[in-house]
Amino acid sequence: MFFDKYKEKKDGAIRGYDIHSPSVKLLSVILVLICLMIVAVCAFPAVWVLLAGFKDIREFRNDVTIFPSSFDFNKLKETWDALKFQRYYLNSLISVAGCAAAAILFNGLMAYSLGALRPKGYKLAYGLVMWSLLIPSITSIVAVFRNINMIGLNQSFVPIWLAFGANAFYVVLFKQFFEGIPQELVEAAQLDGGGVLRIFTMIMIPLSRPIIVVVAIFAITAAWSDFLLPYLVLNGSGNETVMVKLFSFKDTPTDAVSVLRAVLFSIIPPTLIFAVFQRQITDGAAVGAVKG
Amino acid sequence: MKKRLLVTLLASVMILTNLAGCASDGGDTATNEDEPVVEERAVEEPAVEEPAEEPAEEPAEEPVTVTLGIWPEDTLVEDIAVHEGFVATLAETHPNVTYEPAYYRYAVDTFMPMVESGNVPTIFEAWFTEPQKLIKQEAVADITDQLAARGWLDAISPAIKELLSDANGRVYGVPRDAYALGLMLNVELFTEAGLVDDAGYPLYPTTWEDLAEKAVIIKEQTGAAGLCLLAKDNSGGWHFSNIAWAFGATLCVDNGDGTFTSNLASPEAIAAMEYVKSLKWEYDVLTADPTNEDWGTGFTALGTGAAAMYIGANDAVNQPTQVNGLPLESLALCAIPAGPGGQFSLMGGTPYMFSKDATPAEIEAALDYLVVFGKSPEVTEASIAGMRADNQNKADNGVPIIPRFACWVGQDILDAEAQIIEELGNVDTGMYQSYFDATKAGGLRTEEPGLTQDMYAELTKVLQAVLTDEDADTAALMETANSNYQALLDAM
Amino acid sequence: MKTKSKFRKKDLAGWLVMVPSLILFAFYIWQPLIENIRLSLYTAKRYELVEFVGLDNYVRAVNSPDFMAAFSNTFEYIFWSLLIGFLVPIIVGILISETVHFKGLFRVGVYFPNIMPSLATVWIWSFFFTPGDTGVLNILLGKLGIEPLMWLTDPDMTIPLIIVSMTWKSAGATALIYMANISSINADLYEAATIDGAGIWQRTRYITLPSVFGLAKTLLILQVISVFQILQEPMVMTNGGPNNASISIMMLMYRYAFRDFNFPVAAAISVMICLVLVLLSGLYMKLTAAKDE
Repeated sequence: MFFDKYKEKKDGAIRGYDIHSPSVKLLSVILVLICLMIVAVCAFPAVWVLLAGFKDIREFRNDVTIFPSSFDFNKLKETWDALKFQRYYLNSLISVAGCAAAAILFNGLMAYSLGALRPKGYKLAYGLVMWSLLIPSITSIVAVFRNINMIGLNQSFVPIWLAFGANAFYVVLFKQFFEGIPQELVEAAQLDGGGVLRIFTMIMIPLSRPIIVVVAIFAITAAWSDFLLPYLVLNGSGNETVMVKLFSFKDTPTDAVSVLRAVLFSIIPPTLIFAVFQRQITDGAAVGAVKG
Repeated sequence: MKKRLLVTLLASVMILTNLAGCASDGGDTATNEDEPVVEERAVEEPAVEEPAEEPAEEPAEEPVTVTLGIWPEDTLVEDIAVHEGFVATLAETHPNVTYEPAYYRYAVDTFMPMVESGNVPTIFEAWFTEPQKLIKQEAVADITDQLAARGWLDAISPAIKELLSDANGRVYGVPRDAYALGLMLNVELFTEAGLVDDAGYPLYPTTWEDLAEKAVIIKEQTGAAGLCLLAKDNSGGWHFSNIAWAFGATLCVDNGDGTFTSNLASPEAIAAMEYVKSLKWEYDVLTADPTNEDWGTGFTALGTGAAAMYIGANDAVNQPTQVNGLPLESLALCAIPAGPGGQFSLMGGTPYMFSKDATPAEIEAALDYLVVFGKSPEVTEASIAGMRADNQNKADNGVPIIPRFACWVGQDILDAEAQIIEELGNVDTGMYQSYFDATKAGGLRTEEPGLTQDMYAELTKVLQAVLTDEDADTAALMETANSNYQALLDAM
Repeated sequence: MKTKSKFRKKDLAGWLVMVPSLILFAFYIWQPLIENIRLSLYTAKRYELVEFVGLDNYVRAVNSPDFMAAFSNTFEYIFWSLLIGFLVPIIVGILISETVHFKGLFRVGVYFPNIMPSLATVWIWSFFFTPGDTGVLNILLGKLGIEPLMWLTDPDMTIPLIIVSMTWKSAGATALIYMANISSINADLYEAATIDGAGIWQRTRYITLPSVFGLAKTLLILQVISVFQILQEPMVMTNGGPNNASISIMMLMYRYAFRDFNFPVAAAISVMICLVLVLLSGLYMKLTAAKDE
């Protein structure tokens, strides 16, 4: 029965015992309908991109319809080939993989030190990291870019990867998790003569799989979406990522339909990842922000 | 809590200052080591070569790599094939040179980053608005010596040469071609609206008032917008300046002493802006959202039949046709309409420019590429072949073949070009007659002097205001734009 | 904390582990912040500093014809994001918390926009807001018999609509946080309230809402901080128009840096932005610290 399920309801103002009243029954049905509508609003833009991707430019510019006149996959393929999207996918893949690795390694090490080793004076470092959580590097993009040029790493993926190694948010996530690992485990290992790196690889990493997955997913979606620094660093290098291409549309004359199809291509990988890891992602979202 | 924050902040400032010191010290040395791009090291000395007719004859030359930013973009498969032909030709005469495709479309916001990182292609196309800015920033190579040795220096038409030179007369670019703005027409829509003469030629508007009236007819008869007007970015101000001239306005006065006076609030300029406003609120003949139209979407609107008229130049005829699918015979180009102040066509062009890091040998090799591409003042077998290949390819792709504007003064190159166009011509010249008549009659005018892009930006803001607000006070807006622009000119 | 002792080998190891990350933080965040201040006090040719000019660049930035618009727009963005972007997630979070069916679908559904790349959403929404009868939203309105609207082209609507598109993207993720918060509310509270005769609305009003208040406070500041840096939305959707109706302070900075190549003035604007962010961050730290204790 539809309403029986309310017996198990654990949170919120409507309690299981309320459901006997007809007005609460009505209310609960309305709530479900409203939520379904919200989900529809959330999904519609993505569905529309898919539909509109099948329109040609005349249809798109002149027809007052949501649905395309035909579903011809060749149209998508044409744009895919014409824009050489394969290359951008590959570049994005390289970029994303490196970013995720850097995000886990560098922020993990930092958090390991801040959360488990706690060397004398670590609070200073932690304070600095916390401040950078709130003042993102985009505000000083000019100087960041200048730094990258000075060490000669422009037009390469390396600075894009390493940028993910300095992410205060991931440090905080890791640190919170590491703090939950019993200090005795670390101390016991130290008594056994284990070095700090050994403890990291033998104890911390195996115990931290859940948080590594969360950070990896965050880093992957963030790296896929990242565009400003990649645009400045990679544009014109042949290493352009999908987002660099999308961003450069803003001042390259490209017909709207090609832009639209490129947008469609750009949302496919994150959608797939989301489909596979939806649980981890939605759980992680709440975990991540509890402390903010 | 407060105290802890303060301590953290102070400590961080101290540490950062130290770090900053280290980083920039370390950075400087790194720069020195890292700056030159690999292939340039090979040829540091201004190479021995005479400004050779046949540079390839000289044996055992150092290998040179030229990155070609003028390579066609990925989607233009046939164009790429043509360029691959050029590379093959050059491979025989220039065995030491590697020509690398590096499609680059000049983009304002990534150009300087690319200069910093030494990744600007050896040769690239800029916009005619850009050379002075790039020269001032020392972001492009001085090619005066190479041009002089080839005898090209005197072959560039003087007005254009000036746009590519600095105050000392050093030259930094080679003109690809020149353009003049005209009014592009979608003949299908004109026909549908009954605005054609007996021979099928569109009855193009001759004055701006005429344009508004014809646009109304088109909108009534076809439902399509009469005119696509730009108001998204600086190209809006760019097109507007041409309209303003027709109303008798001069937008910026060069005082001759290095200072400029803004003149955006003259009665003529305000009248021109009032006219634009009336296109929206009185005649209602514009596309749905001019503030979202830019150079590219304008051609889409024209090419897909969403708008019947659009300001466009002779060098962009591939945009409505090849790019946006308008049949060749459905494109016409007429003169920019006249106004109370006369008839003017804004003239400019596209220059080839060279990376500031390019060595003389690389510049020479890039110039040789232009010869084979048929974009030089030299009339040789190779250059004619290149010109023909280029035009043949246009013909194959449904791009109208029409004369370009002369950027070279040599008669032989002009004749050679005219002959090829005659031979390959694929359009009814009647569709372009009034355009070429008008541009020959005088009325060609280069862009306003003095921070032109800033002027366009100010004008675009006014355009956006009058096109989105029926009650906008045009005179007051122009007055504001005028003082904003003057402030920028004063701060120069 | 541990007893005080002198710097031990263990501490050294701890710091060594941090070194690579510290270098990255310095390289990407800390040093650029300081470098920006220096850059803002000089003139420059490309990236090379030329001449010390004191606060000239700040004066130039403030006197720019677009500065006042960018400055006041930024506050308008914040205002609308508080009105729309702040409330919507709370409402959605509460609504979903009160359902028992399709809960998995709702969670996944509302979170979905958040995984879309922000550039993709910006492009999609600019198609949605196209005026004229072929714009997506106008097509939908047309089916309901409503005349096409001007959307972003109406200067009064530009900023609120940009905020709507941003809210669409981020509200679901934030709603999940509120949901986690709501599910941690002690059930006894609701039961006690019921016994006292409180209806569903009153329980929501007097129990649920106060419980999420603390969280809402911190999220509010985080939101203000992020809206302060709004860049790609107006840049792609409206290019700052119409007539500067949507230009943001970050956009102005970007224009100086990457359109005019005037890095010192761009740096001056950055420094001003950072000052505001430091103030806001201080406020945030204060609030979270208060919560911790």
